[in-house]
Amino acid sequence: MSLTARTALLIGALLACSRSGEAPRAELSAGAARAYQTACASCHARPGTGAPLAGDEFAWAKRRAQGADVPLAHTVNGFNGMPPLGTCGLCNEAELRELVAYLAGVP
Amino acid sequence: MKALGLTRRELLRTAAAAGLAGALPARAFAEPAAAGDWSPGAPLPWRNWSGLQRCVPAQRLGPASEAELCAALRSGSGVVRPAGAGHSFGALVPTSDTLLFLDGLAGVRGVDPAALTAEVWAGTRLGLLGPELHSRGQAMPNLPDIDQQTLGGALATSTHGTGAKLGSIASTARALALATPGGELVECDAQRNAEVFHAACTSVGALGVVTRATLANRAAFRLVERSRFVRLDDLLAGIDAARDANPHFEFYAFPHADVALEITTVESDEIPAASGPDDPEALYLLRTLFRITRVLPGGDRLYSAFLAAQPASARAGWSHEVLAHSRTVRFNEMEYTVPAARGPDCLRAVLETIRARDLDVCFPIECRYVRADDVWLSMFHQRDGFSISIHQFAELDWRPYFGAIEPIFWQHDGRPHWGKLHSLDAARLAELYPRFDDFQRVRRALDPQRRMTNAYLSQILGP
Repeated sequence: MSLTARTALLIGALLACSRSGEAPRAELSAGAARAYQTACASCHARPGTGAPLAGDEFAWAKRRAQGADVPLAHTVNGFNGMPPLGTCGLCNEAELRELVAYLAGVP
Repeated sequence: MKALGLTRRELLRTAAAAGLAGALPARAFAEPAAAGDWSPGAPLPWRNWSGLQRCVPAQRLGPASEAELCAALRSGSGVVRPAGAGHSFGALVPTSDTLLFLDGLAGVRGVDPAALTAEVWAGTRLGLLGPELHSRGQAMPNLPDIDQQTLGGALATSTHGTGAKLGSIASTARALALATPGGELVECDAQRNAEVFHAACTSVGALGVVTRATLANRAAFRLVERSRFVRLDDLLAGIDAARDANPHFEFYAFPHADVALEITTVESDEIPAASGPDDPEALYLLRTLFRITRVLPGGDRLYSAFLAAQPASARAGWSHEVLAHSRTVRFNEMEYTVPAARGPDCLRAVLETIRARDLDVCFPIECRYVRADDVWLSMFHQRDGFSISIHQFAELDWRPYFGAIEPIFWQHDGRPHWGKLHSLDAARLAELYPRFDDFQRVRRALDPQRRMTNAYLSQILGP
């Protein structure tokens, strides 16, 4: 399957899950999956908050271009509307990396 | 703070009509918050929602059960602070020892359909609790306008919504389970361990860790929220009637303007004409408009005219969908609750001080009513309250503004919100709370070694 097709499928799944309020079906560790549901989804799965939606290719493309560390540092430190740690105080660095990649649609 | 009922589209339309559109950005770009200092690989800090509070804890604990939590408290040493969702602005959380997260103790443990109560784990985020209760036919009687907090954090700080006949979330607690600093699990209510219950309903986490609460709810209900700009003087002239006519009534006053945004919310199955979604980032454009008009002759009148020209709006839905709003503009906040009858005069004094000192602030001032309760450290203890919240954008220095306004709250017998910024110490707070000494007695009994006390709690509660 091409990357484009996979991305399209991922976005479709994410948007469907956003509408249903359920966590997207993808491979997240247990801690990251819980953090997504508890913290991330309240903005990144809710249109109109100003936060880039999970899997939104257009919104995430420029962020992916910054590399992995810049969005991660923004997540930890807080950046614009993004609260520090994404309000997941229990998350460790590996889980935050996982979540950023997941939201950005990084395979 | 609610999303003001403003949208960038409407503000731009109004600005364009006044010939100022060319001075405005094509869209309201968010300004960066205070720069962070963490880089990958470094020890992970904890920071609160606004970014103001920070610490690097030696360990983070996320127990999966009450037994696990109690065991950790029994075997641990040093200071332990429950972190909630990090939505407090004051330094309730920071410690270099142990931060505790109740993410593993979340969700509804059980409901009593006849009594309309629900036992809820304290780590539950309010925003997730609403839908879960709704699926069981229940709803909390009221909600704050931000729903990112955990239930435990909301109880600990006497978090509230608005409504003259509606109390804080803590006032709806009918029973609690408290893990003491010594690792014992204490069940309490108004009859059983009653003093612990009255103290623990709002305790800023000084007595141990509340793990679950039984909440007095009601059957699920629908609301219609209407927002409109009115002249502030007119609103204040009729405020008693508006307060009594609407289960949820609040308004925003605008520094340097003579208008207010009135928000009335009533129970109704009506579905009003769609007015579009909230635009939580409209605050940035509001600030841009403020800055532009501020340097113009008659700028305050022009600014007021812009606001007054915004159309009325409405939202409808189930209570948990209407009462809470998205918040993506970060800020720091001070809130004091004054006796309800003194609220309008206190607000007038706040606005007059802003005007007289020409304070360069535009963040709307939120005003809400809350019913009296019996919780020992509730801001609403034995008196109906009028809560006035002032805000500053997170990337700006809040201290000059808050410092200028705080003495006005003192003059009006105000009690500061436990989770927001203020400068009072334990001696001053003791004067405001008739049961402060009783609370301290329970605190001494439950936490003789002060394991739950960080530097800030030493300041506000005493060592």
